[in-house]
Amino acid sequence: MNKIFNSIDLIPEIQWVIAIILMILVIATTSFWIWGKIKPSKLVDEMQIRTRSWWIMCSIFVFASVVDPVITYLALGFLSFLTLREIYSLLSLRETDRSVLFFCYLSIPIQYFLAFKGYYTLFLIFIPVFMFIIIPFLLVLTGETKDIIRTMCILPTSLMLGVFGISHLALLINFPEMNSNGVSGKALLLFLIFITEANDIMQFVWGKIFGKHKILPKVSPNKTWEGFIGGVISTAIIGYFMGFLTPLNSWQLILLSGSIAIFGFMGDAIMSAVKRDFGVKDMSNAIPGHGGILDRVDSLSTTASPFFHMIYFIILSA
Amino acid sequence: MKKIILIIIYSVFWRNFLKIFIGLSYINNKSLKNKKQFILIANHNSHMDTMAIMSAIPSKYIHKVHPIAAVDFFGGSTVKKLLMRYLVNATLIKRDRNDPNNDPIDSMDKMVKKSRSLILYPEGSRGTAGVMTNFKKGLAYLIQRNQDVNVIPVYLENIYKTLPKGKKLILPYNCSIRFGDPIKFESYELEDILTTSEKALKKLII
Repeated sequence: MNKIFNSIDLIPEIQWVIAIILMILVIATTSFWIWGKIKPSKLVDEMQIRTRSWWIMCSIFVFASVVDPVITYLALGFLSFLTLREIYSLLSLRETDRSVLFFCYLSIPIQYFLAFKGYYTLFLIFIPVFMFIIIPFLLVLTGETKDIIRTMCILPTSLMLGVFGISHLALLINFPEMNSNGVSGKALLLFLIFITEANDIMQFVWGKIFGKHKILPKVSPNKTWEGFIGGVISTAIIGYFMGFLTPLNSWQLILLSGSIAIFGFMGDAIMSAVKRDFGVKDMSNAIPGHGGILDRVDSLSTTASPFFHMIYFIILSA
Repeated sequence: MKKIILIIIYSVFWRNFLKIFIGLSYINNKSLKNKKQFILIANHNSHMDTMAIMSAIPSKYIHKVHPIAAVDFFGGSTVKKLLMRYLVNATLIKRDRNDPNNDPIDSMDKMVKKSRSLILYPEGSRGTAGVMTNFKKGLAYLIQRNQDVNVIPVYLENIYKTLPKGKKLILPYNCSIRFGDPIKFESYELEDILTTSEKALKKLII
């Protein structure tokens, strides 16, 4: 236990973010509580449940990110595992695919081990190159070719979303270039998650208040142009003010946060379409008020890798 | 001693393994909490079913709950018999009804009279994946003789996907175990018992 907490090196920036998160949560909880007392409605109830889930998610996340990095890796790996489990539980895959699913799950510890060791190239190619070839071949080995194309397409894609994307969060923590010259990988990780989730919330809030023109009427009736544009602009502004976590200058910050907002929107939209195809509203009911793990992680899985590579490019070219 | 082993295996190991790794959610298993004796009836598709039910039972009287298993399937060797008795807490019964000394209903009835609880799979065997078949008559005979015991339906949803019949590899799959309220029988005619309990179990399917 002592060993775990000894390695807590909270740089002041991270302390600031934790304080900000705490403040937002306290303000949200009290204002929804007061709102619910004055004018009870279904929306307030839902918001209260959502805020309660945010408390739990934030405390897990803050705990996992301030203790020993090994625990952070394990926690992120478990997040990948939950995501894959949720995807595979919804898809009605063939019974012969079971043995191949085992190898899909097995790729999680391997990918996170590569991230932990900082084998950058191997980390990058393990899923898009190796697993992309190995998984279809394992499917061929089962000998069942009926409907094999469907599984061949689904499994690598699920790995890209659930493992490759999310594992970039873990890569940030130990990556050498991200942890020198006054740059802190943990601070960048906090920045990314803060921006992504702020974008989700902002798009939701702008859409609820001003939403009129549907952006994807057939896929997700909740997404509106007003929500999207308002979300991107406010995320860029939030990113600008959270810039103390990063080594970037102002215009880089605004561009980066804006594009993260757009990528987050894309991830959200992709998952909405997938859910529509499954005919479900939420992936599962793992997180009260939010739906399944994937409903919360969908935007992170598409923002993590673009964020990492954009930051890496900026740091390298600086 | 046996109780401690069972608690470690089911209340500690299987419960956490199923919850965290497999993704099993327990729904309404608190309803068992203040019932001393019960007969659980469940749909049956996989060997994981028994693990799931046993892990949901309050550890206080887990040693008094016995899954019923057929001796010709599970009692192949002495080692297997011992494992079934001590690690699963199972009661092995003979399926041969022609021999009056081995009437399976009698041996189950004796257990109930000793204020033990039973886990029964009234469909008889694991059957086809995800398909519920008609209940066997044995259940009705047992209930007829023990009308004051709580009969609780348990619906196991998708658990067979984690370990389908004939497979050896356990894989995670989001699934759930749902406990119903004790069944109220209006008449204790053989056919009525069967239809009422079948209906009660099917009511748990959402």
